[in-house]
Amino acid sequence: MKNEKWREETGLRAVEKARSPSDFIDVEHGLVDRKIFTDEAIYKDELKRIFGRAWNFMCHESQLPEVGSFFMNYIGEDQVIAVRDREGVIQVLINTCPHRGNTVCRAEQGKTRSFMCAYHGWNFDLNGDLIGVPGLDEFYRGGLKREEWGISKAAKVQSYKGFVFATLDPQSPDLDDYLGWVGKLGLDLMGTDRELVAVPGVQKNRIRCNWKLAVDNLFDWYHPKISHASAIRSGFFDEKLLYPADQMVMLGEYGHAVSGPKITMAEEEALAALSDSERRAVFDSLPGQSWRFTESAAETLGPVGIKSRGHPNIFPNLWVSTGGTQLCLRVPRGPAVTELWWFTFVDKNAPEEQKRKVVRMATHFFGPAGLLEQDDGENWNHSTRTCRETMTSSRRPLNFAMGKGQDMVEVDPSGQSRVETVINEHAQLWLYRSWADWMEAEDWPALIANHAAEPRGRI
Amino acid sequence: MRIASESNAGTRNPDGLPESLDAKVRLQYEVEQFLYEEAALLDERRFAEWLDLLTDDIHYWMPIRRTTTAKDTENEFTEIGQMAFFDDDKELLTARVRKMAVGYAWSEDPPSRTRHFVTNVRLIAMHGDDITVEANFHLYRTRLESEEDGWRGRRQDVLRRVGSQFRLAKRHIYLEQTVLLSPNLSNIF
Ligand code: FES
Ligand SMILES: [Fe+2]
Repeated sequence: MKNEKWREETGLRAVEKARSPSDFIDVEHGLVDRKIFTDEAIYKDELKRIFGRAWNFMCHESQLPEVGSFFMNYIGEDQVIAVRDREGVIQVLINTCPHRGNTVCRAEQGKTRSFMCAYHGWNFDLNGDLIGVPGLDEFYRGGLKREEWGISKAAKVQSYKGFVFATLDPQSPDLDDYLGWVGKLGLDLMGTDRELVAVPGVQKNRIRCNWKLAVDNLFDWYHPKISHASAIRSGFFDEKLLYPADQMVMLGEYGHAVSGPKITMAEEEALAALSDSERRAVFDSLPGQSWRFTESAAETLGPVGIKSRGHPNIFPNLWVSTGGTQLCLRVPRGPAVTELWWFTFVDKNAPEEQKRKVVRMATHFFGPAGLLEQDDGENWNHSTRTCRETMTSSRRPLNFAMGKGQDMVEVDPSGQSRVETVINEHAQLWLYRSWADWMEAEDWPALIANHAAEPRGRI
Repeated sequence: MRIASESNAGTRNPDGLPESLDAKVRLQYEVEQFLYEEAALLDERRFAEWLDLLTDDIHYWMPIRRTTTAKDTENEFTEIGQMAFFDDDKELLTARVRKMAVGYAWSEDPPSRTRHFVTNVRLIAMHGDDITVEANFHLYRTRLESEEDGWRGRRQDVLRRVGSQFRLAKRHIYLEQTVLLSPNLSNIF
């Protein structure tokens, strides 16, 4: 009954006795307790300890072009409104009226002069100030101080090159420090030297899975050959593109990571031998990616980053995807429900033909009808479901050990570090290890003091 | 199914549709029969035969719908050229069908069990060989043990007379949902 004894062998405590989140993650052996994918109490704790403290992606500045433009999003399960106020500043308001809790905004996007609550008519300015109260004199008779009853707001709102993030925790470090070099590299893999604009239309759909399984999949270069076999066999995708042998992994503080294919030596040499225009032509088959072969991209991404064609995740749930043309947010909607929100971007100054190609490719790659993505959801759904089954699930952890103990972190003279290897699960395990750090920490100072440092040497 | 050429004859309304009740009823019947036969092919998973019903220039499109305020409803659906759930030409639809046929298409293996309901069929206009038709639809899908999804909405189709047959030249699908409540769209609407 070896399998039944795995806890003693690996040092993981029985679920019933688990005292703290790190008991669920066995970093040394690359094992993760299934309970973290289904447990209601753990999920509630994640909303507070992870989403309630992290910098959460809201939208791109181009989605809020004018004063009063707004876009609805979530921080954990709290609905929030990102809105451009009268000063042109982006505010993030919590979508709940301080009077009786009703929402003050019910459209998912649009433009407004103020947010008027549909219950009793309290009216809020674009910066959240309470500017109108029906019966303020007649009924409240001086008993309501308007300045005390503005709408609640995110503690901080900051942008990185046009990507707007918000945190509910006033103790959180600034966005720049939070992202660190890996998080910033992740966003820079969107091609941030270009003038990016969001294409109208965010695809949103609901998968019956735990949000973490959707996140760990974005690092998963093991599954395409099987999960997406039909897309490959039908000639739609190149197997080499979906199952590349050369992989590179970058692991950053607080759980950010980039994992996936690396430009091979042969490709590098071939590309180096080309002229700028020839290099651009190479990437015409992957619309929207010629930016990678510019001097400024090399400078922004750094000597290691420029070689990555991998998938970044900005912890906790923002996937930078499709070669820098899309972002996908994994929005938690319950322990076993996750919404996928796909944002698509084009270079404002690109030729129209190029923009059309990007949009077309985005439409049929990913999204619920995407020839790739349509085969993903059921796997995550069933992984979530079996983790809920009581008997076996409480005994056998999931295996995240691919490559464990077999690779080295190399540090470039530039300071950028990475693992160069074959297909592996380093980034997934890093995600869960960081998850435990976040779940253990009582507050931001504790998280800053106790989170895992970027690994060095053998991992 | 074969269609009678007589429905082309007779006087026309400004929308191009025949004026006489007889001709209208006949056209309505022919259009409905085409839509029902087409739906049956999809439910029977005879996708290759379904592809034969499409013109080479078909545009199969499902925009994204958004929850907007009443005064902003012109922004409810994304426009052509913006993001969509489907924005397919014949080549892409053929690729979808091929994908289901080559094996390992897990979202459809085991196959989904679907039922297409097409109702409220209205003839909107007829110009040359093209007849614009609007219909309501309900696509019910169940798969595996107990998975269930359903989509309702409006379709705007263009049926084109090609010889003695209709072909589908356009299908624009307008869903009622904004956040799709289904894990994927691996079926044909
Ligand atoms: S709940 Fe908003 S005004 Fe009363
Ligand atoms: Fe996938």
